Amino acid sequence: MNRRHFPLWTFLGVVLVVALLVGSGALSSTPPTPAQRAAAIESVIRCPSCEDLSVAVSSAPTAVTVRATVVHLIDQGQSDQQITDYLVTRYGSAIVLSPPASGWSVLVWILPLAVGVLGVAGLVVVLARRRRGGRDLDADVRGDSVDPVALAERRRFLTQSLADADAEYLAGDLSDADYLSLRQRDLARLASLGPVTAGADPVAGADPVAGASGASGASGASGASGAAGGAVATVTAAPMTDAPSGEGSPETAAGGPEKSTGRPGRNRWFLIAAVGCFVAALVVAVPLFATNRLPGQTPTGSVSLSPSEQLTQSLDQAAAVENQGQLGLAAQLYQSVLTGHPDNEVALAQLGWLEYRIGQQGASTTLLADARAKLNQAAALAPGDYAVHLYLGTMLLQQDGNAAGAADQFRMFLASSPPATVLQQAAPTLRTAFTHAGQPVPAGVPAG
Amino acid sequence: MNGTLGHTGVLLGLAAAVVGIAVLAVGLVRGRTSALRGGRVYAPLILLGGVVAVFAMQRALVTHDFSLTYVADNNSRSTPLLYSITGMWSALAGSILLWGVILGGYATAMVWRFRRRADDQLVAWATLVMYAVAAFFFGLMLGPADPFSHVTGAVPPDGLGPNVLLQDNPLVLFHPPMLYLGLVGFTLPFAFAVASLVTGRVDEDWQGETRRWTLFAWTFLTIGIVLGAWWSYQVLGWGGFWAWDPVENASLLPWLVGTAYLHSVMVQQRRGLLRVWNLSLVIATFSLTILGTFLTRSGVIQSVHSFSTSVIGPLLLGFFGLVLAVGVGLIAWRGDRLRSPGGIDSPVSREGAFLANNLLFVLFTFVVLLGTVFPLLYEALNGGAQVSVGAPYFNRLVIPLGLGLLFLMAVAPALPWRKSSTEVMRRRLAVPAALGVLVVVGCVLGGITGIEPLLAFGLGAFAAASAGRALVLSVRAAWRTARAAGQSPARAALAGWRGLVGRANGGMIVHIGVVVIAVGLAGATAFGHRGTVVLVQGRTGAFAGHTVTFVGTRTVRTPSHVSRQALLRVDGGGIFTPAISQFGSGTQAVGTPSVDSSVTADVYLTINSIPDKGGAWTFGVVVQPLVMWLWIGGGLVVVGSVLSAVPGRRRRPTDPVSAPAAGAASPVGPLAAGEPQVDDPAAVPTVGSPSPAERQPVGAGEAS
Amino acid sequence: MTVPVAPGGSPEAPGAGPAPSTVRSAPPGPATIPAVRPGRHTARWVGLTVLVVAAGLIAVLATRPPASVVEVQSPLVGHTSPPVRGVTVDGHVFALPRAPGSYTVLNFFASWCGPCQQEGPELVKFAFQHQQSGDAQMVGVVFDDTTAAARSYQATLGASWPTLADPRGSLALSFGVRAPPSTFLIAPDGRVVAYIVAPVTAADLDGLIARAKASGA
Repeated sequence: MNRRHFPLWTFLGVVLVVALLVGSGALSSTPPTPAQRAAAIESVIRCPSCEDLSVAVSSAPTAVTVRATVVHLIDQGQSDQQITDYLVTRYGSAIVLSPPASGWSVLVWILPLAVGVLGVAGLVVVLARRRRGGRDLDADVRGDSVDPVALAERRRFLTQSLADADAEYLAGDLSDADYLSLRQRDLARLASLGPVTAGADPVAGADPVAGASGASGASGASGASGAAGGAVATVTAAPMTDAPSGEGSPETAAGGPEKSTGRPGRNRWFLIAAVGCFVAALVVAVPLFATNRLPGQTPTGSVSLSPSEQLTQSLDQAAAVENQGQLGLAAQLYQSVLTGHPDNEVALAQLGWLEYRIGQQGASTTLLADARAKLNQAAALAPGDYAVHLYLGTMLLQQDGNAAGAADQFRMFLASSPPATVLQQAAPTLRTAFTHAGQPVPAGVPAG
Repeated sequence: MNGTLGHTGVLLGLAAAVVGIAVLAVGLVRGRTSALRGGRVYAPLILLGGVVAVFAMQRALVTHDFSLTYVADNNSRSTPLLYSITGMWSALAGSILLWGVILGGYATAMVWRFRRRADDQLVAWATLVMYAVAAFFFGLMLGPADPFSHVTGAVPPDGLGPNVLLQDNPLVLFHPPMLYLGLVGFTLPFAFAVASLVTGRVDEDWQGETRRWTLFAWTFLTIGIVLGAWWSYQVLGWGGFWAWDPVENASLLPWLVGTAYLHSVMVQQRRGLLRVWNLSLVIATFSLTILGTFLTRSGVIQSVHSFSTSVIGPLLLGFFGLVLAVGVGLIAWRGDRLRSPGGIDSPVSREGAFLANNLLFVLFTFVVLLGTVFPLLYEALNGGAQVSVGAPYFNRLVIPLGLGLLFLMAVAPALPWRKSSTEVMRRRLAVPAALGVLVVVGCVLGGITGIEPLLAFGLGAFAAASAGRALVLSVRAAWRTARAAGQSPARAALAGWRGLVGRANGGMIVHIGVVVIAVGLAGATAFGHRGTVVLVQGRTGAFAGHTVTFVGTRTVRTPSHVSRQALLRVDGGGIFTPAISQFGSGTQAVGTPSVDSSVTADVYLTINSIPDKGGAWTFGVVVQPLVMWLWIGGGLVVVGSVLSAVPGRRRRPTDPVSAPAAGAASPVGPLAAGEPQVDDPAAVPTVGSPSPAERQPVGAGEAS
Repeated sequence: MTVPVAPGGSPEAPGAGPAPSTVRSAPPGPATIPAVRPGRHTARWVGLTVLVVAAGLIAVLATRPPASVVEVQSPLVGHTSPPVRGVTVDGHVFALPRAPGSYTVLNFFASWCGPCQQEGPELVKFAFQHQQSGDAQMVGVVFDDTTAAARSYQATLGASWPTLADPRGSLALSFGVRAPPSTFLIAPDGRVVAYIVAPVTAADLDGLIARAKASGA
């Protein structure tokens, strides 16, 4: 029939182009208003104190400042490029969200284009070559050393393609010419693969078994088993039959080992290599993380201290803080230790000494009394601790004026083997005490 | 106690994974099927280890056990219960724990699903790969990312509490777990891909069997990304939903290649082509999940989301390199075996469209990846000079790709397989194309300008109409089938639901959802208005066609924060309360927006500044049209994926795209293959050409 | 409808299978097909390229320091500093240069900024040390904070140097400050010598001044 078709597509095309031209504003171009210019610039400038947001969308104060500046500069008559440069000279080149098309950063624009063009070109070349038929797809399954599995796979593919084309043609998806050309091509390839030898396709040989059960039956049964949740995992390769339930598995089992015979060697080497890599990585990683271990840290990396280690750490912390001169903080730390361990004599002694010093400065009698109590308690708990005796002695001497009592304490101090540095520091006080008490200075006290 | 329990769980998981690898390795190398079968038990053990560790962590968080460093850093006594629970994934170590337990779950499900095939080398290799990945993540938890490490020194009386941005919205309960369900789920097809390459069994249909798993993972990744966009919109206060943040990009990259894979695998199932493409896409998807984790966690790129710097960066990078090396190496090694038995016959065909689809998605992925890492590359090449790559770059390059994808979405469902002619296409696509042009003309007449939005609306209508056409045809085919099976007209009409389920039809609904999202994106980004309104209490201001009335203020105190809220009435309707909140003491104030959403437009309100003593408050107002379409479209995508997983009519590979031939005995359903294809050569004529009486004219009466 | 005709020949007989004899244009036998390059090694080459590119990417990513440690390059270093003028938090007018011949340490801070609190004592120490020698002065600028909060912050810290209020953020913009703490070292002749984005210590500042003096500033 020779009916005049309404040139729908041409009409649609023309209408679309016209509409797009009108809509895109290419026809009527008015110069952008200052507000539009500001919006355009602001969308490209990064908000200085945010990440990834432009000043156009951010409400941070720095963004507000930049927006105000942009508007101000537009009012002054500066061009877009000048305004951008103004900001770049202050914030650096990273303030512009769009990488400049110059220098190395032009790569970020060119690379996607290049990859896209290459991809399209590659596809076009491959498809064109195939269409011209210049490439022989089956060269690898011809000749003397032909892989029967690959050959069978080709045959299956071509047979299925032929069936596919037939069905598509039946349903009206393929035009006559297309159908014929496809069929011809596939038949030619199939023919060039050579005659079918018996037993060449061990898997396809099982086809008649399932085929006999009938088309609808097979599909119905498999449909039922499929709808039943796929509990029986039907092994499928496209050409494999899906006989109801049990028959599928033996085929797989037959097909599986067959395909892997001849390859255990490679599999084994690959496995060894993989395990080796993993072990190597472990060997590298473990020492890396094993070296930075804190005291009390387990090999797995976590830090778990026993209570006594925790206590020691707290005391060390407090001592460090005290040495830095932050007496109040140190006192707090010692107090916190005491709340957990009321009989810890180190904390008692140190806290007592701190309270004494602070009490002396502020002339606070309560603090001084408490300090004395603590020091006495500490002395009772640990008679062998040199520090307590030093503190007590000092306090007795300076606060009470009790030189004799101080001398007693200092004798006990000397008897508990104090470190040389402490002895050196305390020497003047010791001498004063002994002298005031009218007693001879013991031999262990260094001179000066 | 919690720490010990947690460590026990992690050790159990790691030990199970390592022993499982060893057992399976022995079974594979020596061919001992008893070992292969025995290797299955380790997957539930890994899951058990993960569950025990999760239990320990949750117990520590809920009871505020500050002896654990992680709890001390991410929880406090004033944290509400919900945010204590979500504290498990609000920082680095806990999110690795979440990853590990989800991976254990997937491994167990896989082992259960394939339990009848435990002897199969393919399944055994895949299980081994899953165990190896699990061993890596559980190993991370024992060392650098230890969630159960003890605090050094005294146990603090109170913790720091979670990041203020993470206790602002209950969405934090859903977004990370769903994202991880998606990301981790791609381990499974990767494991099978590696297994098939190692064993050389590259032409088996493991893709078909794992299709639903991949779809499951993809669905959750989509949900995770959409929820992330929604969270960004509802919580962060800048009025946008996608900032091309490196962390956002990290979740988008696997989604893009995953989508390409889901499409491209259809070609392999139907025609056995594009094998190397599919394997590459699967390996790329999994590699990108690892690279994404590295970009998010290592602190190399700082962003709104970025977690604190950590030492696991090099380890993740090493694992990424290992995965890529293994995958690419295997493909290169098996290169000869992978060649498809044939090629694409014509570019104007369904196969050609899928190939173009692959190319566009890969290019999209390349653009996003390049843009994300380019600042680092530039700095490395240029000795410290810096450059930013932000939204303008991404938008400029991604929008044309998106428009191309919309076009493919419109054209591909109508394309037949093998080969097509322009006649067929013109006839089938006439109505959808006319609709598209109509929409463009309507928009132009309605005053909408801008070539990108116009093209988006037009191509979107084209694609939606094409998808709708496919759905209509399949529903009609379902009716016809029901009638042919002898059902009454009423029941046959109900049976039309079959036309909406199954791979192809669910896919059409997903396409419609994507079109809705694309239209929403175009509308929101191209036609939004931003501004400020300065109001004294009781006054009304106008902006972009909406009125805002400052009704009153309110101060809300909870144990965790103090908020000052402003009550605003929008367009004389509902009251909305943007707020500024102070969490804890001394930290910077956090703004909370309030949004008046409707199908046509969103009015987004924030407090910009509060005067010291009575005076005018400054409010930020953003009016964006069609934002709700994004969430509606996201919902449609999820619905479509779920429908796509429902088994449709089983289909044989030789069943045509179109309607049944007159007189054909077997019922031909729509392109709804729930299970892999079946070849039944005896049923369909393979020889000779069909008789003229049987044949339909070209392009007539199709079911799909 | 007529049976489709194979181009240039008789229609194919129904029932004929894929037998070579019924195909019109039978391909030549195996021996005569030219050995076209099958492209078998394409996979290997592509794989190698991908691995090389990935290795390069990994090398770059592995050697990047964490973002919080990297300094932002400032285009101001080496150039004359923008004018520093304004009103202090106490209400006095202030302008640089105040003490000619001395280095100026310009420190942008905020009361809500944790790292600023970390470097605060160091600044106090530096200011005290150089108050004696008079060769460097400290000037603070409030960044994105209220005047009252900044004033109380400085008082708590014990900072005695002039602190400029910057209510509109124009000073921050002119110096390109993105986040506190940001510290500039300005030479006596007005050139910006250094820009530090991380918390500074007194030793850092001393080192920078020494280096600047040595290079003849």
